[in-house]
Amino acid sequence: MTGALSGATIDVARPAPESGGRPGRVRRQKPRNTLTPGAGLGLGIAMLWFSLLVLVPLSAIVATAAAGGWENYVNVLQDPQTWNALKLTVSQAALVTVINVFMGTVIAWVLVRDKFPGKAVMNVIIDIPFALPTVVAGLVLLALYGPNSPIGVHWAFTSKSVALALAFVTLPFVVRAVQPVLEELEADVEEAAASLGANRWTIFRRILLPSLFPAIAAGAALSFARAISEYGSLVLLSGNRPNETEVASVRMLSFIENGSYASAAAIASVMLAVALFVIVVLDIVQRRVSRRG
Amino acid sequence: MVKVSAPVRWTLRLLAISYVFFLVAWPVGMLFRRTFEGGLENLADALGDEDVVSALVLTAQVAGIAVLINLVFGLTISILLVRYEFPGKRLLSAMIDVPLSVSPVVVGLALVLVYNGRDGWFGKGLEEGGFQVIFATPGLIMATCFVALPLVIREVVPTLTEIGDEQEQAARSLGANAPQTFWRITLPSIKWALVYGVVLSLARSIGEFGAVKVVSNNVSGKTQTATLMVEEKYQNFAQGSAYAIAFLLVMVCIACLVVVAVLRPNDEH
Amino acid sequence: MSIDITGVRKTYGDFVALDDINLTIPKGQLTALLGPSGGGKSTLLRVIAGLETADTGTVTIEGTDATKLPPQKRNVGFVFQHYAVFKHMTVAKNVAFGMEIRKKPKAEIVARVDELLRLVHLSQFSHRLPSQLSGGQRQRMALARALAVEPTVLLLDEPFGALDAKVRKELRDWLRRLHDEVHVTTVFVTHDQEEAMEVADEIVVINEGRVEQVGTPDQLYDEPANDFVMGFLGETTRLNGALVRPHDIHISLSPQLAGASEGVVSRVLRVGFEVRITVLTDDGEEVGVILTRTHARQLGVEEGVRVWVTPVSGATTVPTMAANAG
Repeated sequence: MTGALSGATIDVARPAPESGGRPGRVRRQKPRNTLTPGAGLGLGIAMLWFSLLVLVPLSAIVATAAAGGWENYVNVLQDPQTWNALKLTVSQAALVTVINVFMGTVIAWVLVRDKFPGKAVMNVIIDIPFALPTVVAGLVLLALYGPNSPIGVHWAFTSKSVALALAFVTLPFVVRAVQPVLEELEADVEEAAASLGANRWTIFRRILLPSLFPAIAAGAALSFARAISEYGSLVLLSGNRPNETEVASVRMLSFIENGSYASAAAIASVMLAVALFVIVVLDIVQRRVSRRG
Repeated sequence: MVKVSAPVRWTLRLLAISYVFFLVAWPVGMLFRRTFEGGLENLADALGDEDVVSALVLTAQVAGIAVLINLVFGLTISILLVRYEFPGKRLLSAMIDVPLSVSPVVVGLALVLVYNGRDGWFGKGLEEGGFQVIFATPGLIMATCFVALPLVIREVVPTLTEIGDEQEQAARSLGANAPQTFWRITLPSIKWALVYGVVLSLARSIGEFGAVKVVSNNVSGKTQTATLMVEEKYQNFAQGSAYAIAFLLVMVCIACLVVVAVLRPNDEH
Repeated sequence: MSIDITGVRKTYGDFVALDDINLTIPKGQLTALLGPSGGGKSTLLRVIAGLETADTGTVTIEGTDATKLPPQKRNVGFVFQHYAVFKHMTVAKNVAFGMEIRKKPKAEIVARVDELLRLVHLSQFSHRLPSQLSGGQRQRMALARALAVEPTVLLLDEPFGALDAKVRKELRDWLRRLHDEVHVTTVFVTHDQEEAMEVADEIVVINEGRVEQVGTPDQLYDEPANDFVMGFLGETTRLNGALVRPHDIHISLSPQLAGASEGVVSRVLRVGFEVRITVLTDDGEEVGVILTRTHARQLGVEEGVRVWVTPVSGATTVPTMAANAG
């Protein structure tokens, strides 16, 4: 599942590779329009569906949140329970992202550079969190870390459970972002560094890490975005105790169930802003990667 | 490549294996144990329950339709993004990724705001016209479409870019018109990427929970999907059934993973 | 006349790829579009095929105005530099594609595919996938595929550009022989002047979006229209402000011919059977001269010797504006 959810934003192609003698000096062009009537119709229908499904509903959130004005935001965010939920969400997401940056890189390294029986199995297991329904993720974690824990670890319904669930669902992001880059990294660069007298630590710090940095950053951004928006895996595992284990998504859902759409929309718009910010950062990082080649 | 020393290698290996083992492998293994604790009883109980069966059927229907819609939409958008130039293309390609970064609950809320029958932007009019979206199957389908939207596109776009348009041009120069070129040249070349995208979408669609929960009123037999059923069963202390349904869902998702793993190498040539 | 191009202009943003091209390509001949990369020759070929549309101007193929026709209605065969093989089809299926599109009867398709694969020496590979063929074989398959639809014109875009030197040379000879057999009007793009001279009946030199000269290989070599054509078709050196071929220079150790420039040999280099001599004239020009080894030995040219150089009678010379540009 490597390419699927892991890293890169979609790379929009330039018009196909140019053949031999075509103008090599075609510089930045004004956006051209090469749509045929059929393609234009296709684009129209696709955009209509995309608008009805995504654009209009997301604007509705912004509109509903804005309709209440600043007051709405202030009221919602001043509510200690909401504020605590947001704080918990962001802090746990940040914590898990840090864990992922470290563990994800280690796992990617082990998968690429190490050899041991069962490595292939491990490679498949990494993808399970992508494929597992989130509510099932919560359920399986409950089985090991819940009330009837066979190892006596009772993390369910504590703030540890939030980190646990987030770590589970975000596990593949950094691994799958770093793995291909590590695979493509040519060994002779490291060998060249070694021949120039660099020791292992220096090679890691000066050669490996800078090459991996954009991929790690991209994986971390995705992992953070996923973590702050997580809902399904937390429902059963965290117990949703106000001020302690209740995350933003859960808080939002209780507003929705009470019919307080404006309050829910206020939280949602804050989270959308964070998600948008992450997408922009991701895009910038990706561009830096592609510029480096 | 430069070798790391044995102790470092062993430490890293141990660290990686235990992390993955405790976080994923063991918990997922526990699911199997819990499901089969009383032999096949849990599974039999669950499958004997009419509500469970109708939830599974609903999930299959919703996921099937959502995948089909996303397949057609994804294919269209991919071809447009790769083969054509038009104003706003960059923006569109960035917007396509948005559903991956939006909380499922936000997705649900967004759909409710527009399509609820009471005061939704479009929902009121639609409901007066006799078409219910929220708390009905269309809402479930839309929520599922939303969350799985980019998956096909993210698979097809790189493949379409990589194969280039020379084969299509060659087909055109040999007399094929646009539909002939699409069916005979373009589609066979991106076949595996497409299958891969569909399988991913299917896994995602079957597993969706948060967004579906918001747009569903959890009426069993009507709007209760399998994942919603898992939650309800667990909270009603019918843990055996919860584990049994979860087990079935996991089996489907693992089957998806296996299909993908088997297909992937075929992709290479 | 097979292809008539009038007033064709094509721009990409600010870049002018083709600038008012007027050209007639004769029927049944093998014509080369020759020029440096980025000069517009491939764009012109793609405009003829309908893969690009010209901003202005018309393209007429065999008397039919094709300007507005999409590629599939032009009945041209197009061969791409990177083969553009259909990767998911066998060799035979690739060749059959155009005929299947035209809904030809099955038996006819089978027979024609057979015949074409024999023509391009790929009969034993008909059930292989293109990935199992070498580059040269893939390009021959692409050629068979283009010929299968019995095109009015065959267009080849740098057909041998992606192949290594030896295969290139073989395919070049083979293309010439093939053309002598099938006689379809053929236009091919190349940046290799040797390839153009060897294969083509007629060469169109294109540079910076304009046609510099049209003619047979001999005409172009012997009577270049300007310094660009002269320079592109072979080695040149400058003597008395004119471009001359280095082997068209007479060199002697005494002033034998009137108007000869006097100078000193500054360098002598032996490359196989030829000797390359650089003469620094008293006017400050560096003149390159190529002699055969035997001739050089007879003359006794060595570094530091005083010599007289002048173009041989009948030599091709083109005055350059470069004399004042330095």
